[in-house]
Amino acid sequence: MTLTLNTVAVFLLGNLLVAFVRIWRGPHPADRMLASQLFGTTGVALLLVLAEAQGMPSLRDVALILALLSVLAVVGFVTRRGLRENGHD
Amino acid sequence: MIDSVILVVQVVLLVVGCLFFGVGTLGLFRFSDTLCRIHALTKIDNLGLGFIALALLPQASSLATGLKVVLIWLLALAASATSAHLVARAVRSGDKTGTGRKRGNG
Amino acid sequence: MALFGAFCLRTAGLYLVWWVMTEGDSSGLGFGAVIVVLVGLLSCKLYSPSGYALHPLATLRFAGFFMLRSVVAGVDVGRRLLSPSVPVNPGYLTVTTSLPAGGPRWLLANTLSLMPGTLSVRLQGASLELHCLDLDQPIDADVRSAERKIAGVFGLRPAGAGETTP
Repeated sequence: MTLTLNTVAVFLLGNLLVAFVRIWRGPHPADRMLASQLFGTTGVALLLVLAEAQGMPSLRDVALILALLSVLAVVGFVTRRGLRENGHD
Repeated sequence: MIDSVILVVQVVLLVVGCLFFGVGTLGLFRFSDTLCRIHALTKIDNLGLGFIALALLPQASSLATGLKVVLIWLLALAASATSAHLVARAVRSGDKTGTGRKRGNG
Repeated sequence: MALFGAFCLRTAGLYLVWWVMTEGDSSGLGFGAVIVVLVGLLSCKLYSPSGYALHPLATLRFAGFFMLRSVVAGVDVGRRLLSPSVPVNPGYLTVTTSLPAGGPRWLLANTLSLMPGTLSVRLQGASLELHCLDLDQPIDADVRSAERKIAGVFGLRPAGAGETTP
């Protein structure tokens, strides 16, 4: 099982690396911001798998925090670009 | 007997989850505009995460650990939906005001 | 009295989350009890009870609906991606929701982002702008069925259908 989990982890890592090509190329800044969403899902999945494979329960806490921070990063991006609506939602 | 059935189910779920993640990444390259890419990333990746979380559940050492995996999945779901909405809104506002409102420097 | 009920419910919920996050570690339970009561008090001060009661049965039904539809959503986008011509017909659509402001509307917007073919772009008052992957799909019917499920979760009476404008 550990071997399977490690294979899955390597696959997910490869996925993240391939996705970085898109982030590198852009072209819209929003495309780059998709990186944050990627970390929020692929990164979390990777950490959950690693937590089991390596027997490190604390990696689950890292996954939890990564999911939380990914939203904050996007909020920061939207605010910084001054693209937020003038009204409220 | 039961153990090996669970093992097979786990491996199948892991493979399905990986397939979804792979297709989601493919979506980043095959779709031509940003909003469609957000569609692909949000929906497919969340499904992939769901399958992987489900596969890890029988592996959990205690009830609390299993619930924690579910909690993380729910949090990632809410996080992804919120990010998708925020990025989409930013793209839409950018469309409406032209490409303008770029920052001068930095 | 309603405030006290909300406080008890939130504190109990938070304590469960604490227990889950510490992975059932018994050494943290005493400390957690103190924190949870403080956070419960703070949450009641910041967010007064909304008056909505979640219906357990309808919530379960919503969870089932949600999971089924998210699988459909993932398979749908995947199918489009894997077919050689990438058949998409993207565009914007504005729907008017009959759900009240606050939690229900917010839940609808987030749910629709994970449902097949829709992505919520902007929520202004009762009008919700969606980005659709394929405008030929029966999006309005999907939105209405999601709306009905969410109304059930919050124990709201299903109101008359809103209108859809492209």
